[in-house]
Amino acid sequence: MKRFAVVFLLFAVALAATVFVPASASADEIKMIGVITKIDISGPDAATATATLKDNKGGGLVTVIVNDELTLDKFKDHRIVVGDEIRLKYEVKDGKNVSKYFRKTAGC
Amino acid sequence: MLTTDGPGKSLRARAKGEGSVKRYPIVLFLLAVTGSFALAKEHPGKAYIEKNGYHGPSTCEAQGCHPGTAKMFLGTVHWKHASPVGNVDNLTPGKEYGMKNRIYTMCNGNDIVNNLKEIPPNPKTGKTKFTGCNTCHPGNHISDVGSTGKDAENAIDCLVCHSLSYDFRLRQPYKDAAGRVVMGQDRSVKAALSVGKPGVKNCMVCHEAAGGGVLIKRGFAFTKETDVHAAKGMVCVDCHAAKDHRIPTGFDPNNWASDGVRVSCGDCHEASPHQDKDLNRHVARVACQTCHIPKTGGALAKDFTRWTQGPDGFFEPTTLRKEANETAPVYAWYNKTVTNTPTFIGPKGSRGDKESKIYPFKMYEGKAYFDRKTGKLLSMDFAPPMATGDTLAGVASAAKTLGIQEYDPVPGWQVIYFGSSHLVTKKRALSCENCHAPNGVLNFRALGYTEEEIRKLTSPELYFDKMAEKQKEDW
Repeated sequence: MKRFAVVFLLFAVALAATVFVPASASADEIKMIGVITKIDISGPDAATATATLKDNKGGGLVTVIVNDELTLDKFKDHRIVVGDEIRLKYEVKDGKNVSKYFRKTAGC
Repeated sequence: MLTTDGPGKSLRARAKGEGSVKRYPIVLFLLAVTGSFALAKEHPGKAYIEKNGYHGPSTCEAQGCHPGTAKMFLGTVHWKHASPVGNVDNLTPGKEYGMKNRIYTMCNGNDIVNNLKEIPPNPKTGKTKFTGCNTCHPGNHISDVGSTGKDAENAIDCLVCHSLSYDFRLRQPYKDAAGRVVMGQDRSVKAALSVGKPGVKNCMVCHEAAGGGVLIKRGFAFTKETDVHAAKGMVCVDCHAAKDHRIPTGFDPNNWASDGVRVSCGDCHEASPHQDKDLNRHVARVACQTCHIPKTGGALAKDFTRWTQGPDGFFEPTTLRKEANETAPVYAWYNKTVTNTPTFIGPKGSRGDKESKIYPFKMYEGKAYFDRKTGKLLSMDFAPPMATGDTLAGVASAAKTLGIQEYDPVPGWQVIYFGSSHLVTKKRALSCENCHAPNGVLNFRALGYTEEEIRKLTSPELYFDKMAEKQKEDW
């Protein structure tokens, strides 16, 4: 009976870990849609930028590092600006959120 | 084909490995040379612009530069959003067609019924916004699609296509003192001093987000990762090379308007582009795109009868979307003429028609309202459904604009075959077994082959020895 209780406890802990560990702790790709609240870019030659988005689900703020040239160019010429809604995928690398996909949701 | 996705090979090595290509090495050489000049050499007129500022086309035409260009541009598809169309069924003779007036289910609106405007306030948030199909028109909206005369000439936004330093914060719609909706432009000296041949981004500002979002309509990204020509450093206008602002296009069954000039793979690549004679034999009846563009992307279906509310309170047509290279094409015979019915827009052609080749198409299905009485597809003004989700109010608004008094809206689907001429690859091009295995990508039955022919066409006898040899070489 005691052994059964231990096994049950271990199972419960494992299940809880699976369910309740925040997605950001995983190395997997995380998806969200949110509105840009801030863009930080150091200048026209910048090779990286950070963007902060307010998650449509829950309203939490997520800051991501953006390295891809196409998106950086859109920051620089203001095709993407604060207030735009973005479909975002990112990964957590060394504790930082790195954008893998950064697209405006709006069309014409 | 000469091009390759793989980095590191010299041009000569590529040419040697892949057979002859008309003008291609020369073109690439010139691109490299002119490209470096373009970077090094500034556009003439710098001193004039610095002294006098930039005031639109009048500045471009000052001092004898680009004379008559603005007037000429007003006659192009980019300004008119329409042209005579000679290869599509069921059109009114003598009438011009294009996004100005077409009704089909990728957009369901057009420049007329979905003219740029401020939409009604969202009942929940009270907010409004500007939207319209002609948002991308390179005028100021006061002088709009197809307008003519001096005001129209002066309204042309040359820099949105020609400047590398355009500030898109300035290209936003707003209401002027008279309450008219105006599209802003960046006419700053900074933008004017960085003019030149349009880069990829200049074209993609509009062409990337057409149809309701990034990569929705065409479904291709012209990047070094997704297209072998982009990987070579080529830009859109290297193939779509304009003369007098008339821009060559292909024969996409769903892209009707053209400036009367065409572009094709054969403009650069030889008629027998492969070293392998068997591959060259295919060229007679199989389009280059069929093997070299094995995937498509973008929206695969949309429902204009059911709009989805976003977190900002506004509604958008419910859309199933994929990334570039995520969807499989449909293959069909195509002789560059087009079936156009309310439920199908796509290629005409057949195996027996010697003008036809097998082409790949992006298949798209759109749901919208049809008129039960006439069977015709109805159009939609997006302003009402965008604000409230009321799609029938959008149909009513469009009908009013078009002078349609009686109609009976009923939902239905339309199938559209889009041309697929980007996302070109060598590395991932289809090989023998991709088509000739029994589970290959070509539906030979649908393409008009007999059961006996299909048995032969899908037998390894066709390609076994060749592939076995190649396998030895590869390993």
